[in-house]
Amino acid sequence: MDGKKTGYQVNLFRPQKGRMRDQVLIIFVILFGWGAVNFGFQALVALSQGSKLGALLTGRTFFTLPLHFWFTGQFLPLWFIILGVFFNLYIDGITDHHNRKRDRSYE
Amino acid sequence: MNDVSWPIVLVVLAVLFSFVVVGLRQKLKESVEYGFGGRYTGRVGGGAAIASNWMSAASLMGLAGVFYLKGYQALAYVVGWTGGYVLLLVLLASQIRRFGKFTAPDFVGERYGSPAARLIAAVVSVLISVIYCTAQFKGIGLIVSFMLGVDYTRGVCIGALAVVSYLVLSGILGVPRNQQLLYGVIAVSFIAPLMWLSGKLGYFWLLPQFGYGVAMQELASRFHVEFAAPFTRDTLFDWCALCFTLMVGTAGLPHVLSRFYTVPNIRDARWGVVWGLFFIALIYWSAPAFAVFGKLLELRQGVTLAPEAARNAADLIVLRTAAAAGLPGWLIGVLAAGAMSAAFFTVAGLLMTGAASVSYDIYYSILNPRASESSRMRMAKGATLVLAALVLILALNPWGGIAEITALAFALAGNTIFPLFLLGIWWGRANDDGAIAGMLTGIVCTFAQPVFGWLFPMAAVIFPLTSSALFGAPLVILVMILVSLATPAPPERMRNFLEQEVHGTLD
Repeated sequence: MDGKKTGYQVNLFRPQKGRMRDQVLIIFVILFGWGAVNFGFQALVALSQGSKLGALLTGRTFFTLPLHFWFTGQFLPLWFIILGVFFNLYIDGITDHHNRKRDRSYE
Repeated sequence: MNDVSWPIVLVVLAVLFSFVVVGLRQKLKESVEYGFGGRYTGRVGGGAAIASNWMSAASLMGLAGVFYLKGYQALAYVVGWTGGYVLLLVLLASQIRRFGKFTAPDFVGERYGSPAARLIAAVVSVLISVIYCTAQFKGIGLIVSFMLGVDYTRGVCIGALAVVSYLVLSGILGVPRNQQLLYGVIAVSFIAPLMWLSGKLGYFWLLPQFGYGVAMQELASRFHVEFAAPFTRDTLFDWCALCFTLMVGTAGLPHVLSRFYTVPNIRDARWGVVWGLFFIALIYWSAPAFAVFGKLLELRQGVTLAPEAARNAADLIVLRTAAAAGLPGWLIGVLAAGAMSAAFFTVAGLLMTGAASVSYDIYYSILNPRASESSRMRMAKGATLVLAALVLILALNPWGGIAEITALAFALAGNTIFPLFLLGIWWGRANDDGAIAGMLTGIVCTFAQPVFGWLFPMAAVIFPLTSSALFGAPLVILVMILVSLATPAPPERMRNFLEQEVHGTLD
């Protein structure tokens, strides 16, 4: 566990330059997509009840299911898969990029 | 047991027996390459292993049951149990692997350098295992009572005896668990009967995950049952609190985290999570269909259950629907076998996780560091039986449906283990005092409703039993930060380790 001292203390909100900063950036992007689409949509459905938008969300059907129901029960799990694929592709990309740059200052 | 029960029982026994046979054949053929969670099988195989590790009675019985009772509100379970994997993937999976420990208490003990923190984490892990197992025992008891036509109490006792015997037999024979096969069995046994059911009822059978929308429309127009109506039974807060709790709980469950401790390849582990999520979603897209078809069949046949009777019947809706639709006995057996296998192997995994916490994290690491391997093994076996007995007692009088009981385990994991891992990995300043204060706060938040709710009604509102992590997890994180800042920083070697090994290495 002993390594050279850099004075840096791991902090999600103060990532180190290089790969960690790239990684934290994509983490925040994914978490935003994760929270906003899920909880944001539920808030939209709840707040729009009784309005035209609410009627659109709950009255229209998609794949035979009410739109809001399809979005929550079927699209959101798919959305999480899409987020996972995007995250992995991005991390693979930045890992390869930093591998090529030999950004291994810890070594 | 009547004539209809025989094919169901035979299929269930055949499927469970086949796991032993396949495991033994696999053991004979392969002498090496077994990791902590099974042999290494690449990204798709890893995903199937993650999914089979995840699938339990809650997924295969409880989800349809809670949907049958609550309609749209139950989608919080679907979203919570899938969305949690995103948290796990982006925040914890790779870093846990790089940290290099084997159990959740092991991680806590090492990261925070505190036997007390390790002890509390071990106790929490055991508690989570016991609560989670209670839901599985309920599921097993219901299936046995359905198959044999006996009452629930007898069903649970027979089921408990069967699962412990299976565990002992597998242990004696040293049968490895083929998790890819398990997922295959679970998926086929759940989706094939659903396709048959959908076709039999006259709906689009090829993709019943979409075909049940027409059944929902019939329910609404003909019987005025609105499964899809949002926020009619509960509020937006209830939905979000439950969903968030299940998400952070997913990312904090010790037996879910354990999949990532020793995977051979971090990159494949990340992709395995995505494949696992896909395999889990396949089941979750299907589960509500059973509830909709079940309700429709009931109403078509003129059956209207009182609320109490509906609550009691809900967790069996999958099997009851198959029987009510007149599916062949062998196919109902296939359906029961999938649910039974999921519950059996979840119980086996959880009891072993709980027993490992008792024998290794509590007995060996804290109480008796000089204990021999044989005495640790005896302790683990004894702990398995004691935990099984405890679970049986709890399962005889369960306090809710399968999904609700499971949700309590998620709430406890989300309020304790998740914040500890999150800050342990992403904040070098988090220390042992903060960890201990955080876990104790998390335990209080989880059980605030039943313990303090009568005295402080607001506690019951802010920390509902199954949904306490919406406020609980952020509160625990805040407590950990404040206590850590008010007390000495962790050793420099740990801060350096986090920077250089956990966050510094490339995949």
